[in-house]
Amino acid sequence: MSRSMLPSYTRSVAVIAAIGLCLGFAFSNARLDTYSALLPLFEWMETTSLGVIGKTWGAVFATVEAVHLLAMAVLGGSVLVSDGRLLCLIFNDVPQRQVQDACHRLFVWSLLLSISTGVFMACGVAIKVYYLNVFWYKMLALMVGVVFVFFVRQPLLRHDIDRLNPWVLRMVAVASLMIWFSVAATGRWIGFSG
Amino acid sequence: MNQLIYAFATWLDTHSWSTQLHESFYMYNWVESTHVLALMVSLGLLFLIDLRMLGLAFVDIPATAIAHRLFLPMLIGFSVMIVTGLLLFYAIPVRTSQSLWFRIKVVLLIAAAVNAWLFHRRMQDAGSSAAGSWDLAVKAPRRLQIGAALSLIFWGFIVICGRLIAYDWFDCRGEPSPFVSTITGCIADQTQF
Repeated sequence: MSRSMLPSYTRSVAVIAAIGLCLGFAFSNARLDTYSALLPLFEWMETTSLGVIGKTWGAVFATVEAVHLLAMAVLGGSVLVSDGRLLCLIFNDVPQRQVQDACHRLFVWSLLLSISTGVFMACGVAIKVYYLNVFWYKMLALMVGVVFVFFVRQPLLRHDIDRLNPWVLRMVAVASLMIWFSVAATGRWIGFSG
Repeated sequence: MNQLIYAFATWLDTHSWSTQLHESFYMYNWVESTHVLALMVSLGLLFLIDLRMLGLAFVDIPATAIAHRLFLPMLIGFSVMIVTGLLLFYAIPVRTSQSLWFRIKVVLLIAAAVNAWLFHRRMQDAGSSAAGSWDLAVKAPRRLQIGAALSLIFWGFIVICGRLIAYDWFDCRGEPSPFVSTITGCIADQTQF
């Protein structure tokens, strides 16, 4: 029985290289240069029709914000169920594959809805969020979340889950819960900042 | 009735804890954040049950298994949401009690609670009468589907109303029209807002 910690070494090396690149970016001047270069993009976002609607129609902005919250709720629900199953806390009598596949489908749809409503919201307050540290923390957390799901979690779970090391599954579930909690918490904190 | 609500809200407002909670930047934000994050546990799981009943998600998993297994964590999430929601009301009682959106939200909450109770009863009836024959079906029986759809609609609007409470378009301080004033319960010559 295979108990390999990392079923695909190529992908593992790529992930470690990506983390190294991100750290290099974070602690070099490239980060500040990129930050400055992004200002025109955020200024342009406010002038787009989405930005104008977001700034002019408070009710539309609030409704889209509520839809964003609902999408995040579904995303949170799917993450909780799927990680709960990996941690053997829930649906222990239902095969892993069924739970993971169903949760992932729901996760993808809710993520797409969250991102599209999030883009609309960001357009309405683009300049404000550009200067908010917490907005960049959220973007970083979201990016980590997306990379984690599509390049670490899903490739790993595509294998025969029952043959994977249970501790690897537990670590993946805990990491996933922490990442998505960070995305939600930093998102909420944007509302209190600025 | 409006006078009574106003009197109760102003009484709550006299509590020093209410003022302290409202004026504490971190505490208020922690309570509000917990309220919103509890959505992910309560509504997130509730929506999964509703979507299963409508045949839109988890169709391979028995419907009753989804409903029964997610019930307890969902209830814990709702408990946190209710406690933090009451604290948020306690922090700003007068303005919140006279908010048009808050009042619509309360009506919708009652409707959602009645719907949840009916859904629960229908589910028990369906489970005992059909002996689980629908459990593995893609869609639940029609009555349960209606309950699930209503639940999605009610909670969708509850979240929208909750978000709109932050906006002051119909606040009593802004002297709204007589119709809105009656619905929101503005009191003539009121001194506290």
